[in-house]
Amino acid sequence: MPDSKPIDPIHPELPTPGSDEVSLLIDGRPIVVKKGTNVLEAAARLGVQVPYYCYHPGLSVAGNCRMCLIEIEKVPKLQIGCATPSTQGMSVKTNTERVLESRQGIMEFLLINHPLDCPICDQAGECGLQQYSAEHGRGFSRFEEEKEHDAKREAIGRDVTFDAERCIKCTRCVRFCDEISQSHELGLFERSDHSIIGTFPGRPLDNPYSGNTVDICPVGALTWTPFRFKARVWFLKNTPSVCAACARGCNIEVAVYKNRIQRLTPRENMEVNRYWMCDAGRSSYEEIAARPRLDRPRVRTGGEAPCAASWDDALEGAAELLKGIVSRHGTKATAAIVSARLTTEDLYVARRTLVDAIGIPRIAVPPHEEGEDDDLLIRRDKTPNARGAELIGLGRPDAGRIKEIAGDVLAGRVRGLVVIGEDPLGDGLLADSALDSLEALIVVDRSVTRTVEVAHVALPSRAWGEVEGTYVNCEGRVQRTRAALRPENESEPVWRVLSDLGRRFGRPSEYASAAHVFDEIVEGQPAFEGLSHKVLGRLGAPVKVE
Amino acid sequence: MSAVREETDRKIDELLGTFPRKGSALLPALFLIQEEKGFISPDSMEYVAGKLDVSPVFVAGVVSFYTMFYTRPVGRHHIQICRTLACALRGCRSVLAHLEQRLGVGAGETTPDGKFSLEAVECLGACDKAPLIQINGEEYELLDPKKVDEVLDRLE
Amino acid sequence: MASEPLLLKNVGIADSWTIDSYLKSGGYEGLKRVLREFEPEAFATEVKNAGLRGRGGAGFPTGVKWGFLPKNKDKPRYLCVNADESEPGTFKDRLLIEENPHLVLEGIIASCFAIECHTAFFYIRGEFHKGYRIFKRAVEEAYEKGLLGKNIQKSGFDLDVILYRGAGAYICGEETALLESLEGKRGLPRLKPPFPALVGLYGCPTIINNVETLANVTLIAERGAEWYASLGRPPKNTGPKLYCVSGHVKKPGVYEAELGIPLMELINERAGGMLHADRPLKAVVPGGSSMKILPASKCDVLMDFDSLMEAGSMLGSAGVMVMDSGTCMVQALLNLARFYAHESCGQCTPCREGTGWLVKILERLESGNGAESDVDLLSDVARKVEGHTICPFGEAIAWPVQSYAAVFRDEYLEHVKRRGCPVGGPSLV
Repeated sequence: MPDSKPIDPIHPELPTPGSDEVSLLIDGRPIVVKKGTNVLEAAARLGVQVPYYCYHPGLSVAGNCRMCLIEIEKVPKLQIGCATPSTQGMSVKTNTERVLESRQGIMEFLLINHPLDCPICDQAGECGLQQYSAEHGRGFSRFEEEKEHDAKREAIGRDVTFDAERCIKCTRCVRFCDEISQSHELGLFERSDHSIIGTFPGRPLDNPYSGNTVDICPVGALTWTPFRFKARVWFLKNTPSVCAACARGCNIEVAVYKNRIQRLTPRENMEVNRYWMCDAGRSSYEEIAARPRLDRPRVRTGGEAPCAASWDDALEGAAELLKGIVSRHGTKATAAIVSARLTTEDLYVARRTLVDAIGIPRIAVPPHEEGEDDDLLIRRDKTPNARGAELIGLGRPDAGRIKEIAGDVLAGRVRGLVVIGEDPLGDGLLADSALDSLEALIVVDRSVTRTVEVAHVALPSRAWGEVEGTYVNCEGRVQRTRAALRPENESEPVWRVLSDLGRRFGRPSEYASAAHVFDEIVEGQPAFEGLSHKVLGRLGAPVKVE
Repeated sequence: MSAVREETDRKIDELLGTFPRKGSALLPALFLIQEEKGFISPDSMEYVAGKLDVSPVFVAGVVSFYTMFYTRPVGRHHIQICRTLACALRGCRSVLAHLEQRLGVGAGETTPDGKFSLEAVECLGACDKAPLIQINGEEYELLDPKKVDEVLDRLE
Repeated sequence: MASEPLLLKNVGIADSWTIDSYLKSGGYEGLKRVLREFEPEAFATEVKNAGLRGRGGAGFPTGVKWGFLPKNKDKPRYLCVNADESEPGTFKDRLLIEENPHLVLEGIIASCFAIECHTAFFYIRGEFHKGYRIFKRAVEEAYEKGLLGKNIQKSGFDLDVILYRGAGAYICGEETALLESLEGKRGLPRLKPPFPALVGLYGCPTIINNVETLANVTLIAERGAEWYASLGRPPKNTGPKLYCVSGHVKKPGVYEAELGIPLMELINERAGGMLHADRPLKAVVPGGSSMKILPASKCDVLMDFDSLMEAGSMLGSAGVMVMDSGTCMVQALLNLARFYAHESCGQCTPCREGTGWLVKILERLESGNGAESDVDLLSDVARKVEGHTICPFGEAIAWPVQSYAAVFRDEYLEHVKRRGCPVGGPSLV
């Protein structure tokens, strides 16, 4: 990199590049980049934003939008920055009159047949056409003719709607389906200004990653059907978080309007999901939101229907029930089922309370598996924190251990069962008849599940989207999940519920926040050495492997 | 799949070995299919996509790019008249007008009996013979309305 | 000017397209000489020394183009013959293919020898049904006579020629679009660099040469660089050339002359002069529809690469379209604009959107509904296309638009003032 001495902008001494680097000038300013870096990326490193539509760092270069035309010293014609690799000593100009005029020309061409239906377009507010026409456009139209018309509101796929009139034929979506999902549903048809993106009859856009075509569409041509007309994007509050639909832990933005999640979109993390996420993850919030909420503690005595209770009464009741079993049958008559969908912080406090304070000897983590791992992102393991459970000392998800516990419950050997974030009854892991021999079924959950319905004590927890915490993904990367929603009920984070329960068993520790819990985890677990919520930041960090 | 006749299928197999990469066989294979069927249907596209290991949507995109591939049946006599400048300078408009009047269809249309399709096409690269038409690939040159009538009278 | 036909030597004689006819007139002797007397590189140098410039449109020196091939030969290299003759006003390659195919084939073989290529593709326009049949037969004959295949004429040189039919797309005459089409894809021009000489067909080094260019290689093979370089207007405009004359002349056709024949001689002596005695020359497009138009006052020009460049146009494909005083220049341009709008591959923004817009502006002017500002708008839209596209198609539409609207500006403004056409000739659109 250049040293601090001032550099003559006209004849600068270019810094000496390393062996795999080149140094060049962009608008007179020197920069050193890796060989092969295109001029757009090099400019971006200097904070110079060259506009573009068709270029996407995750896709092959198409060079068709022509928006990123730039001037290169000694090259007579303007060149496109996306297809121009940085070379040693080159001098690039991104803001000459010629460049600006060409950009204005391209903008004008892109808009002549564009419907300009921004008021009803879901892309409005995050549209490349809007953004660049404000920055580079002419400001008025010289096009007096009839616009070309094309298909509108076509269901091009299960969850994707296509508006051909808005399309600028950048082919990002086509390249995505060819190169990333490799599902090849989209193609370019016809030619000239009749060119149109389309599918083959009977083969709609329907791959596990189809939503990414919407994300990378720089205009409003492809929209995510479930999000259509839900909210203007400028009213959305985005929170950087992590998807919990499988063990990959794709980085996402959670977009919230009126305290409801409106959509999930992928957030770039080159170590995890690059630019993408799967459709199942993208839609995962809908199913969670649809489940009936457990919004306050419940207590059930005898065969009666459960009654609402205060937190104190409910926790006290749970503690009493468990203490009774321990005193009558010993700790060996207790067991717990804990979910790998919980945060590392939840799991840690669960271990401290259930194992260390209450003395529950057996904890099982149920597996949730479906389908197979694919070559891109999707994992068979549908829990976001199986690695976290293992690192915390609760063991890997293990169907055998659940069966064992279920058998012991049936046989009357286990009389007290604590279930956190799982629904063993609903999932068929535990038979209804098991309840007959249980003296205490204590459940912590977000929703009213079948298990919650029959629990002696049910404690409402906050869940994904409402809590701060971390997950450890399948590759051992610790990443933060964030609270995007405001709770509208009496629920509490699992770690706080369990901490409160633990206090009733003489465990003194109190935590102010999930970050605080995490700090304690770090102290005791070498795998997490050096980490903190702050250190993890937006992109997370790998655990230490021994 | 019996999308094409056995002979066409065999010829397409031969094509696959003709080129260093089998993808190149697409255009000639489409010509073979069109020769057999008169046009290229979605079924045919799926068939040829399977032969060449490409996606059907790719084949459909290729078909739609080239003007000589048809996705609908054309008339028994496919009349293509050049409309570009060199022919226009020599009066192709009046030849086209005459054709439209005689056949009772406009450019881009097929007569109801399926006998004639009329199409105005871009430069056929025979400007010294302007105005000219191609009928099923055969050329008729230096036309005027009278000569057009003579040509059409001879056709079945 | 020598008047001995070289490229059209056999044209007009009986069965000129057969190998027997061609051999009778001394055909393939040049090739045999090359195989006997030259190392590949030496013959490539011979072609370079002859000063042969590409006859497809750009006029780039053929030998220099061959020199761009990489030195190492770890990948196969290909020659693609551009027989996708589609530039409006151009029909010379068709004549060669139909009437003198072996002259072309001989040049292909000699060129492949020079560039050490063992597979050549002959990409022929799909609409050339007759030409395809004839050339296919010519290739079969050449195999039969041991002029293609393994160990040609016992020289140790192998060559296969594969015919490939285009399927209706002007853009496939652009060399990288041609390669895409040859690979069985939509004919979308590629980004350059990399240039085909390094990364071409199937990612291998590839040379693309025009039909007439290769026919000229036969002449060089036959009679040497020194002789060839003396033809035409040396040193930079050498050799014979085929000129296609169409439009308002008495005898439209392909005429052979050495490079540098005066345009007016071509029109008045070769092509029989103007079609109608009462309609004088108004303008000429000298090099195919993509080239700038010359008004009658500028037609006193020599027909070679550099002279036409100086006159503000280009030799292009040597498609000479002659227009008389009855020609409306708005209609003429609208006719061409529709051609370009139809043929734009649609890949890149300026061409895809600009060509359609130009048509709409011209339609307005032509129908008498235009405004004065539309004339400037035409030029400005063309300027925004020019130089901003992936391939030279952008220039191909920009140049005629800019030149017609500038050279005949008064006529365009008249359309606005009179709310209609002041020329009154037969309609072109």
